[in-house]
Amino acid sequence: MLDTLQMLVTIAVIALATFTTRALPFLFFGSREPPAMLAVIEKNLPPMILLLLVIYCLKDVQWLIAPYGIPELFTIGVVAGLHFWKRNAMLSIFTGTVLYMVLVQFNVFSFL
Amino acid sequence: MARNGEDKKGAGDQNKDLFTIAFKTTIPVLLGYIPLGMAFGFLLDGAGYHWIYAFIMSLFVYAGSGQFLAVALLSAGAGLTEFAIATLLLNFRHAFYGLSLLEKFSGIGRVKPYLIFALTDETYALLTTTDVPQGSSKSKFYFYIAALDHLYWIAGSVLGAALGSVLDLNLDGMSFVLTALFVVLTIEQYFSSEARFPFIAAVGAGALSLILFSSDNMLLVSIILGTLILIGREQSIQRTQRKQEIQKIQTTEKNQKMQGVLEIQNGIRSIDTSIQPVEDKIKEEN
Repeated sequence: MLDTLQMLVTIAVIALATFTTRALPFLFFGSREPPAMLAVIEKNLPPMILLLLVIYCLKDVQWLIAPYGIPELFTIGVVAGLHFWKRNAMLSIFTGTVLYMVLVQFNVFSFL
Repeated sequence: MARNGEDKKGAGDQNKDLFTIAFKTTIPVLLGYIPLGMAFGFLLDGAGYHWIYAFIMSLFVYAGSGQFLAVALLSAGAGLTEFAIATLLLNFRHAFYGLSLLEKFSGIGRVKPYLIFALTDETYALLTTTDVPQGSSKSKFYFYIAALDHLYWIAGSVLGAALGSVLDLNLDGMSFVLTALFVVLTIEQYFSSEARFPFIAAVGAGALSLILFSSDNMLLVSIILGTLILIGREQSIQRTQRKQEIQKIQTTEKNQKMQGVLEIQNGIRSIDTSIQPVEDKIKEEN
């Protein structure tokens, strides 16, 4: 257990470390011209990172133990299908979330 | 004067509209950050810390996984250096987020430091995918999105720390809203960008780092790996382009040389023909 001062110092260190990681590219390229390669990377990074964030959300899924990640994959399939079809973000996201909550809370895939 | 007042009122209305649009954009994050923030607050409360620390951390640190890590390190009795290094490593992925926002954030004004501070995974995803409503201020719109997300996170964590042990809500599975949000935003990126290779790079890098690295390090490793793949491909494209250009230059040079040879040959021929009468004359004279 840390006392108040220790806790505040610790939080300050964590806050500073986090802000540093976020500010780094802006500090580095604030005064100099970014390399030409960066322009291409800049365009291609967001789609890549977003798909990686989806994959990251599945990092703790136990693929080899029942229900083998089926609730997650099934729901993602529904969200993606719905979004390609209707292209309504709210509809896709909320249908998916409610569906997933039902799937895990009622343990729908328990027969697997 | 009256006109002026009307204009101001108009601007105010527009502002309100912009705020409403920003709020609607962030609703999925609201539904994700409340249960996630509550989980964090609940953990910190369980480690024996007052709820005010959940508030201070969420206000000044504002990093989902970073704050979960902090609770684990607090329970483990880690030193300050460990806190600093572990946080730097965990959040280093954010440096890549900034790389793709350099242009978007340039000239955005005095909200820039706050936008950089508040750059979580979810806010990054929204800012890179959502278009600023036509005729509206980009800095205001971005600021609303970032600040609303920040507010949700603070509210969730304080709620969790203060009430976590009292409330018994079954929020199992609710944080899947963030997965769904990322799926939808990925598809939006697919619609708005011609590029398809980033998705291939993501699947490759993601699969490789899931197999080779622990799930905690997966995101940073896969982003570095994916960026390297993107750079590598870009360089190979540029190299083939350069090769083609060189080939083009070489063939034109060759053609020019050929033309030169032809010209010289023609020249010789014309000299030949001009010499011919002289030669004939000499022959005749002899």
